Amino acid sequence: MTNHYIDLKNSDCILIMGSNAAENHPIAFKWILRAKDRGAKIIHVDPRYTRTSARCDYHVPLRSGTDIAFLGGMIKYIIDNNLIQDEYVKYYTNASQIINANYDFQDGLFAGFDAEKRSYNKKTWTTEKDEKGIPVRDYTLENPRCVYQMLKKHYERYTLEKVSSITGVSKENLLKVYKEYGATGAPDKAGTECYALGWTHHTTGSQIIRAMSIIQLLLGNMGVCGGGINALRGEPNVQGSTDHAILYNILPGYLKMPSGSLDTLTKYNEKYTSKSTDPQSANWYQNYPKYTVSFLKAMWGDEATPENDFGYSWLPKLDEGKHYSAMHTIDAMYAGKIKGFFAYGSNIAVSSPNSNKVRKGLQKLKWMVNVNLFDNETSSFWKGPGVDPKAVDTEVFLLPASASMEKAGSQSNSGRWVQWRYRAANPPGEAMSDGTITMLIMDAIRALYREEGGPCWEPILNLKWDYRNSLGRFDPLKVAKQINGHYTRDLVIEDKVTGAKEVNKKGETVPSFAKLMTDGSTACGNWLMAGSFDQKGENRMAKRGKEDPTGLGLYPDWAFAWPLNRRIIYNRASCDPQGKPYNPKMKLLEWVGDRWVGDVADGPWPPLADKEKGKFPFIMKADGVGAIFGPGMVEGPFPEHYEPLEGPLTKNPISGQLLNPAVTVFKSDLDKVANADQKYPYVCTTYSATEHWCSGFTRWQPWLLEAMPEAYIEISNKLAEKLGLKNGERVKVASIRGEVTCVAMVTKRLKPFEVEGKVIHQVGMPCNYGWFNPVETADDSVNHLTPAVGCPNTFCPEYKAFMVNVSKA
Amino acid sequence: MSQELIKLIDLSRCTACRGCQIACKQWNELPASRTKNTGSYQNPPDLQWNTWTLIRFQEHEDQSGNVKWLFRKDGCMHCTDAGCVKVCPTEALYHTEFGNVSLNVDKCIGCKACMYACPFGVPKFNAATNKIYKCDLCYTRLQGNQLPACVLSCPTGALQIGPKDIMLTKAYKRAKALGGDASVYGDKFVDGTHVVYVLPEKADVYDHLPQDPKIPLQIIVWKEFLKPAGLMVAGAVVAGAFLHYITHGPKMPEEEITSEGGDKS
Amino acid sequence: MKKGMIKATRPFERVVHWCLALSCFLLCITGMSTMYHSLNFIGAVIGGMANLRMLHHYGGLFFGASLLVAIGIFWKDAGRFSSKEDWPWIKEAGGFLWHVDDIPEVGKYNPGQKMFFWVVALGGAAMLASGLIMWFPLSFSKQLVRTMYVVHSLGFLIIFAFIFVHLYLVTIGAPGSAPAMFTGWVTRGWMKKQHPKWLKEMEENGTLEVYGGKGSNKISSS
Repeated sequence: MTNHYIDLKNSDCILIMGSNAAENHPIAFKWILRAKDRGAKIIHVDPRYTRTSARCDYHVPLRSGTDIAFLGGMIKYIIDNNLIQDEYVKYYTNASQIINANYDFQDGLFAGFDAEKRSYNKKTWTTEKDEKGIPVRDYTLENPRCVYQMLKKHYERYTLEKVSSITGVSKENLLKVYKEYGATGAPDKAGTECYALGWTHHTTGSQIIRAMSIIQLLLGNMGVCGGGINALRGEPNVQGSTDHAILYNILPGYLKMPSGSLDTLTKYNEKYTSKSTDPQSANWYQNYPKYTVSFLKAMWGDEATPENDFGYSWLPKLDEGKHYSAMHTIDAMYAGKIKGFFAYGSNIAVSSPNSNKVRKGLQKLKWMVNVNLFDNETSSFWKGPGVDPKAVDTEVFLLPASASMEKAGSQSNSGRWVQWRYRAANPPGEAMSDGTITMLIMDAIRALYREEGGPCWEPILNLKWDYRNSLGRFDPLKVAKQINGHYTRDLVIEDKVTGAKEVNKKGETVPSFAKLMTDGSTACGNWLMAGSFDQKGENRMAKRGKEDPTGLGLYPDWAFAWPLNRRIIYNRASCDPQGKPYNPKMKLLEWVGDRWVGDVADGPWPPLADKEKGKFPFIMKADGVGAIFGPGMVEGPFPEHYEPLEGPLTKNPISGQLLNPAVTVFKSDLDKVANADQKYPYVCTTYSATEHWCSGFTRWQPWLLEAMPEAYIEISNKLAEKLGLKNGERVKVASIRGEVTCVAMVTKRLKPFEVEGKVIHQVGMPCNYGWFNPVETADDSVNHLTPAVGCPNTFCPEYKAFMVNVSKA
Repeated sequence: MSQELIKLIDLSRCTACRGCQIACKQWNELPASRTKNTGSYQNPPDLQWNTWTLIRFQEHEDQSGNVKWLFRKDGCMHCTDAGCVKVCPTEALYHTEFGNVSLNVDKCIGCKACMYACPFGVPKFNAATNKIYKCDLCYTRLQGNQLPACVLSCPTGALQIGPKDIMLTKAYKRAKALGGDASVYGDKFVDGTHVVYVLPEKADVYDHLPQDPKIPLQIIVWKEFLKPAGLMVAGAVVAGAFLHYITHGPKMPEEEITSEGGDKS
Repeated sequence: MKKGMIKATRPFERVVHWCLALSCFLLCITGMSTMYHSLNFIGAVIGGMANLRMLHHYGGLFFGASLLVAIGIFWKDAGRFSSKEDWPWIKEAGGFLWHVDDIPEVGKYNPGQKMFFWVVALGGAAMLASGLIMWFPLSFSKQLVRTMYVVHSLGFLIIFAFIFVHLYLVTIGAPGSAPAMFTGWVTRGWMKKQHPKWLKEMEENGTLEVYGGKGSNKISSS
């Protein structure tokens, strides 16, 4: 979230799209209802009418996988009706910049496409710069090559008729949403968007979010109270684990994972350090080397020296052009290229797409370790349905882990609040916290290396590995302090202007990432978390102050919000170039005299109108402005509608490209695809029920199982009638990759769509079930049906749109 | 100090997350039943001895064909004129100082009369223990100045509890703010319930929600008429016999006139 | 036992009568204890109200069984009204309510007793049926169960009233009656006063049994 949960109450219009907030984020929904009490419009756009829809002002059904078409239509509507926040768009976005003359877009393809590699050469996806390297700008927005005009041109094709025909949304409904949401372009109005896995689980996932970002920038909704793009993230500490680099392509704090060609720290820093010659751009990522060096110091402590590149060479490197997402890993596993595997707190036999392939892949492992609360479909894959245990050679280790309530540590919510929490109960039996398990395994590996030696010993034996407390137990506070960072030696910083000296002692915690150094005098495991302890070592994550001085629900003394306890990021964009808030009723920030008052400002510099010291508000961007033209994406700088890998259409109604051109399609014999196939005529989507947790360890909880006892498929009464199915009857659901059984839930809440003149039926299934338990039903995972394909930016699988058939069991 | 409390259920804020349903089971240590999916989110299908509160899910199509999904937290309404209290032979069911109807399970003899006296079908029988069970509004928590488990668990503020007058004012204010078909349900019958709904839809749209709940006529005849009449009849026959004896006198046997009979035995 | 007393009842009749009477008494006590909270203490005597409820249930079954036997025994003599014989008695209320010089003569049972028989037979059956439904209410419709509460309590009122009158009459209301249900022997005087026609009938067809004498002995006619 750019904003935070409580801030949802400050919104004037909340578009819930790609999220089932009431069901999957019940606590967040409290603040959405507060906004409704204030008179905000709450709109739900979703293939299904859910518990969220029931509490919104209205629900608009949309065919799975057509979000970009819907949002593209909104961009066109906003531009056509001139609903943009003019000043904001001109000064705070790249709308005024001029796009490279060689940039082009034709029939669904952007310039530079290499059909063989299914990737783009992005060299023309740039904007023009003057001789000083400063972007050329046309503040009239009239230059035909300026971003604004090119945006207008790009979305010209997204007419109401076209969008309605693609999405299955009636024109009236489209207009209703566009009008209502477009109204938040008024400077003193704010609209916000809540999304979740309903957007990310598509082959176009990242671009859907990009499309919404463009809308938010056009309407001036970024950085303001009640605005922003708000990913409602999952209960399993999704925000925290992403911040701390659970993904293969990042290091903690979203630093880039180095690849093989970047063999020295200098080359690495050179590549990723952002450059700008614009005096009005803060260009915060110019500090990149400070964060990498401090990270390396946190990894290897005193062993990391300037002489050895701070141990940069000990970091693992990605092979150039190769990906290591869960889907790629499973593909390699199935190809027999992987020997051992840690399923750490995960149940991939249920949760990963194309379960048949996953389970066959697991059989090819030599060993597997599953760290989990319960035995599950992954650790017991060798005795699963259709598997002969005698034929499986994989050695499986199940390590019992403690639940989140059975260990202390930090947890980050979607609003980037890092909250310290305490152990509520001891773990049962032999269960241990993940930290303890990791520590003990690493201790054993290091002991083996010390005794026997081995290849690549340096990163292992040089590792700073002192996370035990005085009793010899794993101490999460020590880890947290290492992440926050500390001074590795006494450091005196002299203020160049006042001459005042700031004395920092060795070992003191770093109070802010602004204090991090490139010379190794600071160590910091994750620069974003610098400041989670103050310099005296007080744990700010454990703070529970209930004061709210702004009255906007920022609660600055409750826990720590990265970065620097900022509650709403890009908050300088909530003020006009003179530093006056656009919405005087919600003074998130205001330039008073010589400083910002309100939230922790996005940098101390004066507002933009100060031509000398003033800075653009989007300080993390090299040019300081919000990116309407976004060349960072792999499949194009403007979001474009493509059909899902499996859909009901043979031709993309808006271009010649049916599938996102940059998508990787796996080639194994189990990666079968059935687009627009008569045998699989219904669009299916998957989701999680309120009552269950992810891949379903809550199936062990009798009360929750009582409430949601077995797998089901939601199916419209019209389709049920067509298929002769009765409510509560058992059915078989099949895709080209597999089939599962479940109960038919016949409902009026689902309605068929009219798409390109055809009636398209949509069905939906929850993803929380598996064969392992409860034994009485043993309905297997819906991911037997889903394809292993994902967004080419994130490799998040396309769980939300694929094709199935339904028949009586 | 104790005072009359009302639990306000604002259905316009309910997201049917069922936190209340589970929290109730947790606090009251009620075991789960092994259920089936019957083609509905509603589960268990009805209130049970071990399910004191239940979210009812109902798909409702209005006249213009719009489908609405209605949720209703069902459970004990804690009537002032409570049928269950009226019929309970052992005072196992009783009104507390907060106005709610509590249950002393130890006193319950399993007669089940309350099940037939309740206009809402709330008390449920457990054959294994031969006792009935129902929500007691977490009486022990109220005594300890704690919120009932359901209210505590509610994420959206659909459940609130507070002094009667304040809650009723809130309820009417909310119904007015919602406008349309919204209404307040609970204060106008059985002398006022201690659970009051704000219904966003017309009351008659909701399944299993009685439109004019009252204690059944037979129960009133039984407990309001025949029960006191029992005492009157007892008094009348005693008085009648006594009057008969002193006014008319006994019907004596005829004099024994033979020598064989009488006192010669 | 005095010589010359007349045998009015058989031992079996007395046993059945007392089964009925005692179970009825038990049911009244336990029933009232559940009806009136102030009588809940009676439950404490037998270890709680749940026990008392069980006692009521099984007592009810015993009562029901006794009732069936009793109906079988008494049906012939007490179950049938005869207008010729009974009407005059009814008109004079059997001399119980105002002074009547010559009480119309009736047979073994007078119409008051016959009415009592019917109240006990029908009321008892109603109590048995409604009681069983109340015992197992889950098998019946809600309306039926609720109606049974009314039937059961109304039945109680009527039976209670009649039993009290019965008790009054057999004790101080018509002295000399009680021995009929204890020893089975009554005095001839009582017989003459209460059941002169029965006495005559027995004398005439020779079924009269007299204590210490031969059954057919005509002792006196005075």
